[in-house]
Amino acid sequence: MTTQNATTGLSRPPLNGLHAERPRVEWKQLGDAEIPARFSGPTDEGFRLDHCGLADLSALPRFGLRGPQAAAALAERGYRLPDEPNRCRIQDDGSRLARLSSTEYLLLGSLTDAGQRVSMTAQDWATLPPGCYSLPRQDSHAWLVLTGASTARVMAKLCGVDLDAAAFPAGHIAQTSVARIDAIVIRDALGELPCLHLLVDSASAAYLWPALLDAMQEFDGGPLGLDALLSPAAA
Amino acid sequence: MSRYEPLDDAADAVASRLPAPMGSLIDRERPLHFTFEGETYRGFAGDSIASALAAHGRLVLSRSFKYHRPRGALTLAGQDANTLVQLPDEPNVLADVRRLEDGLSVTGQNYSGSLDHDRDMRLGKFARFMPVGFYYRAFYKPRGAWKRWEPLIRRKAGLGRFDLDARGSYHDKAYLFTDVMVVGSGPAGLSAALTAAEGGARVLLVEQQPQLGGSLTYARFDIDGRRGERLRDELVSVVARHPSIRVMCDATCNGWFTDNYLPVIQGRRMFKVRAKECIVASGSFDQPAIFRNNDLPGVMLASAAQRLMRHYAVKPGRRAVVLTGNDDGYLAALDLHEQGIEVAALADMRPSPENPALAEALAAAGIPVRAEQTVYEALHDKSLHRVTGVELRRIVGTGDVADQGQRIDCDLLCMTAGYMPVYQLLCQAGGRLRYDDEAAEFSISGLPAHLHIAGSVNALHDLDRVSEDGVRAATEALRALGHDVPMPQRSAPAPRRVNHPWPIFPHPKGKAFVDFDEDLQIEDILNATRHGYRDVQLVKRFSTVGMGPSQGRHSALPTARLVARATDRSVSETGVTTARPPFTAETLGHLAGRGFDPFRLTPMHRRHEALGAHMMPAGHWRRPAYYPATDGSLARERCMQEEARQVREKVGMIDVSTLGGLEIRGPDAAEFINRLYTFGFLKQPVGRTRYAVMTSEQGVVIDDGVSCRLAEDHFYVTATTSGVTNVHRSMLQWNARWRLDVDIANVTSAFAAINLAGPLSRQVLETLCDDVDLSAEAFPYLELRTGHVAGIPARLLRVGFVGELGYEIHVPSRYGEALWDRLMEAGAAFGLRPFGVEAQRLLRLEKGHVIIGQDTDGMSHPEEIGLGWAVNRKKPFFVGRRAVDILAAQPQKRRLVGFRLPASSAKPREGQLVLEGETITGNVTSCEYSPTLGAVIGLAYAAPEKAAPGSQITLRVDGGQEITAEVVALPFFDPDNTRQEL
Amino acid sequence: MKILHCPLNGPRNISEFIYGGELKTMPDPATCSDREWADYVFYHDNLPAVVTEWWFHSASGYWFLAERHTLTDEVLRTFDPGELFRQRVEFAHAETPS
Repeated sequence: MTTQNATTGLSRPPLNGLHAERPRVEWKQLGDAEIPARFSGPTDEGFRLDHCGLADLSALPRFGLRGPQAAAALAERGYRLPDEPNRCRIQDDGSRLARLSSTEYLLLGSLTDAGQRVSMTAQDWATLPPGCYSLPRQDSHAWLVLTGASTARVMAKLCGVDLDAAAFPAGHIAQTSVARIDAIVIRDALGELPCLHLLVDSASAAYLWPALLDAMQEFDGGPLGLDALLSPAAA
Repeated sequence: MSRYEPLDDAADAVASRLPAPMGSLIDRERPLHFTFEGETYRGFAGDSIASALAAHGRLVLSRSFKYHRPRGALTLAGQDANTLVQLPDEPNVLADVRRLEDGLSVTGQNYSGSLDHDRDMRLGKFARFMPVGFYYRAFYKPRGAWKRWEPLIRRKAGLGRFDLDARGSYHDKAYLFTDVMVVGSGPAGLSAALTAAEGGARVLLVEQQPQLGGSLTYARFDIDGRRGERLRDELVSVVARHPSIRVMCDATCNGWFTDNYLPVIQGRRMFKVRAKECIVASGSFDQPAIFRNNDLPGVMLASAAQRLMRHYAVKPGRRAVVLTGNDDGYLAALDLHEQGIEVAALADMRPSPENPALAEALAAAGIPVRAEQTVYEALHDKSLHRVTGVELRRIVGTGDVADQGQRIDCDLLCMTAGYMPVYQLLCQAGGRLRYDDEAAEFSISGLPAHLHIAGSVNALHDLDRVSEDGVRAATEALRALGHDVPMPQRSAPAPRRVNHPWPIFPHPKGKAFVDFDEDLQIEDILNATRHGYRDVQLVKRFSTVGMGPSQGRHSALPTARLVARATDRSVSETGVTTARPPFTAETLGHLAGRGFDPFRLTPMHRRHEALGAHMMPAGHWRRPAYYPATDGSLARERCMQEEARQVREKVGMIDVSTLGGLEIRGPDAAEFINRLYTFGFLKQPVGRTRYAVMTSEQGVVIDDGVSCRLAEDHFYVTATTSGVTNVHRSMLQWNARWRLDVDIANVTSAFAAINLAGPLSRQVLETLCDDVDLSAEAFPYLELRTGHVAGIPARLLRVGFVGELGYEIHVPSRYGEALWDRLMEAGAAFGLRPFGVEAQRLLRLEKGHVIIGQDTDGMSHPEEIGLGWAVNRKKPFFVGRRAVDILAAQPQKRRLVGFRLPASSAKPREGQLVLEGETITGNVTSCEYSPTLGAVIGLAYAAPEKAAPGSQITLRVDGGQEITAEVVALPFFDPDNTRQEL
Repeated sequence: MKILHCPLNGPRNISEFIYGGELKTMPDPATCSDREWADYVFYHDNLPAVVTEWWFHSASGYWFLAERHTLTDEVLRTFDPGELFRQRVEFAHAETPS
């Protein structure tokens, strides 16, 4: 009964149970887990994408690397490093490399390759070089994306840091408190579309998701599936 | 002259409004209906409740707090308590600022019978028997008297009715970030906002009223009367359209907190504004004069009459008398005259106006000026419902008047005795008020950096100087922001004296009110000083002056003056009372708003819910306390005991994902753990676990867990659910000093964990795990393996918390739910049942295992709780080592012991006392009925001499009953630990 | 609410931080007197003066030091503890097998 590494279907991102309660959610397979493809009709999600949408990318690969040799190890793999802490750099393949301190990095898988490259990097590093320590960010953190023109105003209801693009441009990172839980907030853009990545404690995700949706209500915001993020508008 | 009748409730009151441009706030195209005290009235969109009623000649809005005197609006700007009314679901609404809505139903407050005929008004007749401090002194003797009086007094004294069935509305909070926030949009605020925006700053302009302009919207600045409007149009047209200025009207900045953290309330939202620079241009409050019956409806501040006309096109009366202590009263008289209100007289408390042209202008308008005269008494008919005239007298000394006076009929008395800076926010910021006895005025100094002040709050009253001051403040703010702008030239000061030094005129029959909210008269303040209170703060507490809703806006200055004079000091010596936030009353909705109450769920949470578990909080987590019993019951004892029996007899499993998890990696990992935990860890073999106790530098046990050595340079250490955050933080802090080559990561949320326990647990696990040899020989007690369970990568720990053969299975959290499902499926054939926290606590109690935080407190050191064996006294250092040594060398004060009681005995509760005669020697920390042992067992602190098994300890249980328990050896169950080591 | 300047994350509401006590030098636990240890563990000078304190930024898990005047509550400087603690701290090793 050898079942080693046959984890397909066993992986459950932290919010999937909550999403499954919604009436019209459609799913897609991503890596060894499922991810919501859409929550409602494409018109709704198109509007949300542009104005105020919230997507759950927790199924997408990500991991952390820390230690005095972390930068060298990443550079050796061809990753381009942000110059200073609290900055994020987009890689050619669409993955994101965030620098959280002088010696800590966070790799976020790309939507375009379903996180393949980041996943491969993580597997290659099953045994890490000395001075490098991996951090299980895929299990410890949920990954949410807030999209659209209203992101800064939504976040102003939850967070004491000015996240307006003028004060917090793309590529900037705020490690701060969102609705009273610790979060890593990264400003990014999907094509022309402004968005914020939120990485939060996976055990608290079921608390934060409805809190975010509640804050989004006044902007007619709502949940977004992967399809909307992959739509030409977000390309 | 005939007595003047008040305005009737004219049916066409709506039509009787003044023509435009009066009525800047109302929309005459949108009439509205509402009721007040059951009668229907009409008003316009934009009206306040009070303005719409005033248009009908209805001035009485409320009854005063103590004497139930009829009261009408004093300021018409929401700054007095006279306008508090009741809405169906909301008490204490300010009628002069609450916007009218169609169909609104409004009633008065604080009366018996009806607002117009209040039976409690006779209380006023007893006023001389109810001096200040009356309640404190009259109803507290004899002892217990207050209990009888309180309900009656509360009923008489309460304000408004609260609808307990009302449903809360949605309030929330939001941050707002800006470079410069300007408080107040009068001439100073507008020019400050404009200057700052033109200089390149993002500006937030906050105005309490519905329109921009402050005094420019209602006051008169020159004889011609056009200057204010012209300046307003000029400034507002630019400010309102400026792309860098965000304007918030109907918004109140309700406090100042460190580093310009400024709560601004607008509608149902509280904005938490964070401004790099803040300019307070809050203006000043028009001050009343104090004379007999100065509280009658129809007696109002000159600015209130001007607001009624300019904002609402309402004629405040038909025949007016103006009482003034400065030139602004003349300008107000001209306003009244222009709007067709006969001004019967202007009484100037000074010998002459500063600007002689004003006297000529009044003469031209036919308004008689009575120099050096004051209103000695406002007259009324018996009802007190409206002023019907005044008695003017010549002022012959400070507060003294001539023996004879002259009566003049009027239905409106406008007063302006001077100005008080709106200093509240500034004093909250640490600003100090300084009184200039010469100018009879306050100034403010000592403000923190990045907080600026402009306009009349800065003791400037000339319009040009006020505007200039706004530019100056904004320039300072811009420079602080790093903009290179030159400081503007300052004009020579043109001092205007706006405050009359003593507009206070006592009357032998009293009723000269200093504080309208609290019905306090001149005599009440003087009485307080006669009782020996010299400090204004103490006068305030004794008399309650300034404690009402208007928070001393009109009473602080006269109180300071009265106290100063009564104690032969100057006002600069007495000072005024402290102003604390909030500036205006705020609803609980704004404070509570949309709160955030984070919680954490394990990956298996939905499975617990599906099983119908009874959940309990554990720190931020929610955990199953127990699952329904076989018969579906959710009775705690029954569920817990069933679950415990299953673990002892067959197999159970519990979600322990909330357990803290820390990865300690690097060449110094062992050295680091060796310094933090009390045991020896340098030689802990790979593949072994070891119990780990953490002490603080005070030697107190603060956490425990299991140290798992996965590799030479890799430890996985568990910590308590509620302790792991602190443990992790403390580890990081230690290593910030020690600089060991180690990485410390809190991976609590990254792992899900299940403790599979019971004699059949190995058999269950064997069906799911084929890459770890689970036999007792290959994987004995306290060992650790990594492998796969149901294909899921897992760390397996053989631990014995519940005292049975068991495996703690730790897997990446994403697989937690699947692991749960697979184990439930695999275990079904073996009778596997999930168990909750309550059963786990019972099982570990049977084994005598302590829970840090439950069986320990802020004083527990290792020896005391029987953990001396877990302390390595040979190693050179661990945190707390020195204190543990010191404590161990001292005589012990108490000892955690196990006790046992017959099953039939009363069950002591946690926290109940252990007694030695009259002396408390300890307390019960854990206690439960053990079905396995058929007895009540527990842990308690007791005197060390009672620690030996067989001793008797006395416990005081419910109802004060004292019972005797027998101290027994720990553990209670399976003393040789044979079961867990299978 | 006060703003504290974190050397790693910049200016933040002080509610994002956890106070970690005054910076103190630990006396040698092997040689100090009981009184010296009690002084170190329990007593604080509590003077109106500039003190150096530990502060922790929770969201980034970062400890730093702040020089603060206890009378005015003004924070004069914040800095990475690496400025003060440059070397590995050792305690004499005398462990016997356990």
